[in-house]
Amino acid sequence: MIGVLICQIVLSIVLASVFLIRPSLTRAASWKILAFIGLCVLPALCIVGGMNTHVQRSEQTQFCISCHVMIPYGKSLYVDDPSHIPAQHFQNHRVPADMACYSCHADYTIYGPLKDKLQGLKRIYMQYVSTPPDPAAIRISGGFRNAQCLHCHQGARSFEENPVHAALMDSLKSEQTSCLTSGCHDTAHDVENLSHLKMWRPAQ
Amino acid sequence: MKISEIGIGRLLRVSSFLVIVGLVLEIVSLLWFHPLSFVLFAFLAASLIGLGILVYLVSLVFVAPPPAEDTPYRQP
Repeated sequence: MIGVLICQIVLSIVLASVFLIRPSLTRAASWKILAFIGLCVLPALCIVGGMNTHVQRSEQTQFCISCHVMIPYGKSLYVDDPSHIPAQHFQNHRVPADMACYSCHADYTIYGPLKDKLQGLKRIYMQYVSTPPDPAAIRISGGFRNAQCLHCHQGARSFEENPVHAALMDSLKSEQTSCLTSGCHDTAHDVENLSHLKMWRPAQ
Repeated sequence: MKISEIGIGRLLRVSSFLVIVGLVLEIVSLLWFHPLSFVLFAFLAASLIGLGILVYLVSLVFVAPPPAEDTPYRQP
C-alpha cells in the first residue's frame, strides 16, 4: 500500500518537475490537462493517501511505544500474570497484537478518531516542547470508560452470562460502576512495579 | 503588484516548486517511523502541497495566458 502511494508521489514529482523547468508547455491544450493532473489532482490524492497512511500507522502498537514515556506501558503487555488486564488481552490475542493500544484506548464515537489524534498531538507537544510526564503519573483524561470494554464484551456470551456482570449490567452501561476502579479488574498497566514482575517471553 | 501582472509562467514555477518540496517531505514522513513524522506530514508537507495547488488554481483563475508565439497577429 505504501509502495503504491510512493509511486504515485514520484509520478507527481516528475510531472511537477516538467512544469518547473518548462512552464511554457501549458500553452498547448493537452499540456494544460497534464498540468491540471500534475499540479492539482495527483498532489491532492497524495495528501489524502498520506493522511490515510499516517492515521492507520498511528493505530499500531509499535507507533504508540515509539515514544520514550510509553516504553514501560509496552513492556507491561508482557507481564506474566493473568490478573493484569492489558497483558492478558495482548498475550491471548483478545485484541489484535499489532493494534493493542488502540483497541482499548480508542474513542469509539463518531468524532472519536479525531479526538484521539488531537490528544496524540497534545502528547507530542508535551514530549518535545513542554515537560514530558513521568510514565507512572500518566492518567487518561476523564478516566478509563466502560464503553471501551463494552465495545467488544457487550453481547459476548461469557460476559453476559457471568452472574456478576448480569447483575451490574445497567450500572456498567451507564458508567456508574467502573470495570477498572470498582475493584473487579483493577490491575491495568502496573508500570511502577514493572521491574519486580515476571515477564512472559513469546516463542520465536 | 496585481496577481495578473505576475505572469502564468512564474506562478506555475512557484506552484511546481511548492508541490515538489511538499511531496519530497511526504516521502520522508512515510519512510520515517516516528511520532514526529505525522507532524512533519500534517503541518509541513500537506501545507506546502496545499499551497502549491492553491497557487496553481490562482494562476488559472486570475492570470490570462500569453498568446502563443506561433499565433498570427490579427488586425482588429
